[in-house]
Amino acid sequence: MEVTRQIYWNIGHGVVIPMYILAFAAFGVMGWGFWQRLPIWRQGKALNRFDRYDERVKRMLSEVFSQSKIFRVTDGGIFHSIFFWSFLVLFAGTMLVMIQADFFTPVLNVNLLSGEFYKGFSLILDIAGILALVMLAGLFIRRFIIKPKGLEIVKDDYIVLQLLFAILITGFLIEGARMAATEMQQNPALAAFSPGGLLAGQLFATMSSGTQLVAHKILWWLHFALVLGFFCAIPYTKLRHILTTSANAFLAPFEPKGAIATINMEDDTVEQFGAAAITDLTWKDIFDADACTSCKRCQDRCPAATTDKPLSPMKIVKQIGELAEGNPTGNLIETVSQDALWSCTTCRACQDVCPANIEHVNKILEMRRNLTLMEGAFPGDEVKTAVNNIEVNGNPFGLAYAARGDWAEGLELKTMEQDSDVDILYFVGCYASFDRRNQAIARNFVTICNAAGIKVGILGKEEKCCGEPVRKLGNEYLYQMTAAENIELIKAYNVKKIVATCPHCFNTLARDYKDLGLDVPVEHYSTYINDLLDANRLKLTPEPFSYTYHDSCYLGRYMDIIDQPRAILSQAGGAIREMDKNGYDSFCCSAGGGRIIAEEKLGSKISEVRIKMATDTGAPLLISNCPFCLTMFEDGIKTGGAEGQLQVRDLAEIVAERIAS
Amino acid sequence: MKLLVCIKQVPDLESRFKPNTEGVWYNETDLAFRMNEYDEYAVEQAVQLREKLGDGTELTVLSIGPDRVVEAIKKSLAMGCDNAVHVQDSAASSKDPWQISSIISAYVKDKGFDIIFTGMQSQDRGSAQVGVTVAEQLGMACTTTIIGFEYDNGTVTAKRELEGGIKAAVKLKTPALVTCQLGLNTPRYPTLPNIMKAKKKEITAIAVGDLLKEAALATTTSFHPPAKKGGGIVLEGDVGELVDKVIALLKDKTAVLR
Amino acid sequence: MKTLLIGEYRDGKLLESTYELLGFADQLGAESALLLVGSDSQLPAYPGTIYLADAATCGEYNPDLHKQLILDAVQQENPDYIVFLHSSYGWDLAPRVAASLKAAQISEIIAAADGSFEVGCCNAKMRRSVKPNTATTVLTVQAGAFPVLQPGGSPTVKKLTGTGSGALEFIGYEPADKKDVDLGKAEIIVTAGRGIGKKDNVPVILALAKALGGELGASRPVVDAGWVEHSHQVGTTGQTVSPKLYVACGVSGAIQHLAGMKKSDFILAINKDKDAPIGEVADVLVVADVMQFVPALTAKLAR
Repeated sequence: MEVTRQIYWNIGHGVVIPMYILAFAAFGVMGWGFWQRLPIWRQGKALNRFDRYDERVKRMLSEVFSQSKIFRVTDGGIFHSIFFWSFLVLFAGTMLVMIQADFFTPVLNVNLLSGEFYKGFSLILDIAGILALVMLAGLFIRRFIIKPKGLEIVKDDYIVLQLLFAILITGFLIEGARMAATEMQQNPALAAFSPGGLLAGQLFATMSSGTQLVAHKILWWLHFALVLGFFCAIPYTKLRHILTTSANAFLAPFEPKGAIATINMEDDTVEQFGAAAITDLTWKDIFDADACTSCKRCQDRCPAATTDKPLSPMKIVKQIGELAEGNPTGNLIETVSQDALWSCTTCRACQDVCPANIEHVNKILEMRRNLTLMEGAFPGDEVKTAVNNIEVNGNPFGLAYAARGDWAEGLELKTMEQDSDVDILYFVGCYASFDRRNQAIARNFVTICNAAGIKVGILGKEEKCCGEPVRKLGNEYLYQMTAAENIELIKAYNVKKIVATCPHCFNTLARDYKDLGLDVPVEHYSTYINDLLDANRLKLTPEPFSYTYHDSCYLGRYMDIIDQPRAILSQAGGAIREMDKNGYDSFCCSAGGGRIIAEEKLGSKISEVRIKMATDTGAPLLISNCPFCLTMFEDGIKTGGAEGQLQVRDLAEIVAERIAS
Repeated sequence: MKLLVCIKQVPDLESRFKPNTEGVWYNETDLAFRMNEYDEYAVEQAVQLREKLGDGTELTVLSIGPDRVVEAIKKSLAMGCDNAVHVQDSAASSKDPWQISSIISAYVKDKGFDIIFTGMQSQDRGSAQVGVTVAEQLGMACTTTIIGFEYDNGTVTAKRELEGGIKAAVKLKTPALVTCQLGLNTPRYPTLPNIMKAKKKEITAIAVGDLLKEAALATTTSFHPPAKKGGGIVLEGDVGELVDKVIALLKDKTAVLR
Repeated sequence: MKTLLIGEYRDGKLLESTYELLGFADQLGAESALLLVGSDSQLPAYPGTIYLADAATCGEYNPDLHKQLILDAVQQENPDYIVFLHSSYGWDLAPRVAASLKAAQISEIIAAADGSFEVGCCNAKMRRSVKPNTATTVLTVQAGAFPVLQPGGSPTVKKLTGTGSGALEFIGYEPADKKDVDLGKAEIIVTAGRGIGKKDNVPVILALAKALGGELGASRPVVDAGWVEHSHQVGTTGQTVSPKLYVACGVSGAIQHLAGMKKSDFILAINKDKDAPIGEVADVLVVADVMQFVPALTAKLAR
């Protein structure tokens, strides 16, 4: 027997035309299934995610084929990635057979599938099939036996698993039947290159030739039917993620992380702000529900979800999908619930880990906008008070704005009003200006700048809250008002560069203020100091210390600033003991999303959870570089009983203490 | 029905106050301004009544002062007032309660307001006179310090807050004026559509000279910080040392600790 | 100098605060006559003239009628000053009298000298000196600002009569919400003010109260915010207290609160603001962060 395979052996070439007709019909059903979903997505508002086409395609192909986002989380991720690649190989193999049968042979009279190539082809496909089965079994065990917490089992799971098992098993059975009737007898050396088929072939080896042929035919048509069923099932089950999740890699935004739509306040015709119904969201928001495979990675990382608050990012994505499909006029906010919406800290852990490129955070922000701007709702009276304080005095504490620059007393620091010819404008922020613990950071930063010969200016009492907490709570109006005042001043003083010690001010001035007309380079003091060290403008005398480091959400995940603070601390003499959840996996301190001005009333304290992670490293010192984190951790150490065990300090304090004299 | 709410813009009370050059009131530099807190409750109650009465009701907000009071007026419009009157007076703080009341009464006279809401007192001057004086000048029924308000067909039923948490229920017939106490309701946060609608609402400006014909009945001769009390001890410093000092003082000066 | 003092009567009883008016008149060095809408069975022991109207017929809260009665007495007495307490009765009634007479009114007086009166303003942070420009002046006096004077003796009673209720109809009183704590009897009170920061911090203040063997008090903003129940409120609309030791934690010292506690024997205030008005009445003001100082004090007391 030749080293090849007779395609359509025992089936006959007469099958080709009905096969293609049925296949097209199945694709038709699949297309029709997706076509039916179009109106569901279209209920959302317009959004252009089709620009920069080439870049999008490249990104999609790269993400889908590399599966990089999938195996980032090894639990389930490794299995899925290997399963995917295996299935891909099987699919490619089948395509190759089809091309061979319908093009190479009739048109070119060439048989690719022969000789050494065929041996390799058989082996690879068989291994792929075995791997696929093993991975599928692993996934089955994970979902149905290990049952990870929070992983729901729905009807689709049964359908999909059974279908895939059946397809793979029937595939091997067909091969086995064929090999039993051909290779195993005629060319056993070749049969060795199809180990899976060889094994399955044992089942048929003892059957009579006639039985083998019949079994083979039945299995072939069964397998064919299952595969067509698979295609038909795609749009109607979780399998749709093959297309929708891949599409999401195409549709993902190019805007910088954390970018939020800036509402046009001048537009008189707009009567509805924020999202109260799914029709207020964009079509992409609704599409996200289809791209979601309920893998629950977002939920697992959500600091609110893991401390028993009613928020689950995955649930919200699903709820949007359910409403869009079943009850489009339903009250979105009531369905999701205010408690869930207000619990979000916008830490972005959900979006960062999501393998499906779903955009969780902005959906929540749009609903918050509705609550705040259309209903005047607040998560609590303390928030209303803080918001009122920002309106009246430009800071959430309600302290007299005239005292905002008082922290600088004794530092020989001039305000921009007195002298605007400076190297950098230090945008201090509300906490460093007024909160006693954080004023130390402001003073330390200025000390560091002085040592490096940098001339610093501050706005002093002219500075107002950057507006970030209220913006994240949905109050776009107050945000734009306070931002406009800051921007006017910054422009008037002809500021060339801004440095902020607060990551929230940093994000807001560097990214959000661009929409409002500010285009001045803005840096966070961690990268700024790192550059000063690199340029030798600042020298440190290292003093050894053991520490663990907290990556603030708005520095790490939002701005990719992960290495620089560590570099600085290393130069300062620090020996780091990393927490498990560090870098992009960092766990929020709880104060983002405007929650710094709210009281944590539901579930357990997020800051205490993070403090425990810190104490678990055994390091006596926790270092952060965000005033919110510092505040929450000082609190969390006290309420979590870690006093005496752990101290929290800011990067600026560590550096300032080690400036080389 | 015609409703009126009178509001005052006051400095934010967290500010540090310094006497002005005349030495009779505070210097406005470096002060943040906001609506008098009592007036927020008055506006909210007026708006709630206006919403309840619906079409055919008109709610006007009035304030006396320089241009900066327009911000407080806008907030009231955003909360739900229909239109506004700004009595332009750059020296409003130099007028005494009698004059302020006279200005308001001069405006209100013959306009046919059924109910007037004011705050019980202002947070800066705090004389608690203007509301009642306006009612007297206009011959309107009046009660003060209300923490409960109901209106039905020409009759206002109000609850007054008395000392010790006791309340007193009172009925008055319109035209009536009520002065509002803190806690009367929960002042709403203006929604954005209402803020935008407010931009189009009419603010009628009237020069104070057109309304004021009265001289002051009392004169402020001095505005000053309180004299530092001799007896009090002020302690500052390290918390641990402070604790020891305080315990020593308590043992010494009171019979509370042994 | 002549004064007509307007006494207060509620729920069938003469209010003790009426005697503060006598203390005020005494400090002014002025003659006084008293007016009271009350009952002849509840007259103060006072050697002067009392213009008495019967509360049973004239009502306890009936400002239009009470105004008329006062104007009657003013006609007869021709006083320089008509003096009310700055109370829910006084601040409601005084402006009516003042407007009818087109007399100057000066409210919530805390001190008086040489025809000039000192009042608080800007949340008790500052003071104003005010002089009336009219011959007859209406004054209201801050609760607790002037000493109680019980001169003793028998009054000469002049009856006043009046009917009608003008534009108001008094329906009745509603008792205060049930108190589970009677601060009036407490010897030590530790009060939580807005400066404690948040509701979660109330237990820290309560711990100090327990360590001292005292009761928990609260300022109005803290009660309004729902951090502590109303029954613990100290101040004009809460309870007036005079314990041996009053510890004010994070209390700024708004007038209404001060009025409720400044008669305490010893006042210890903790506030991060050195200039907080509570410093006016405090015997000791500790300038510190409440949430740092109080736990430290509690801990030290426990040893």
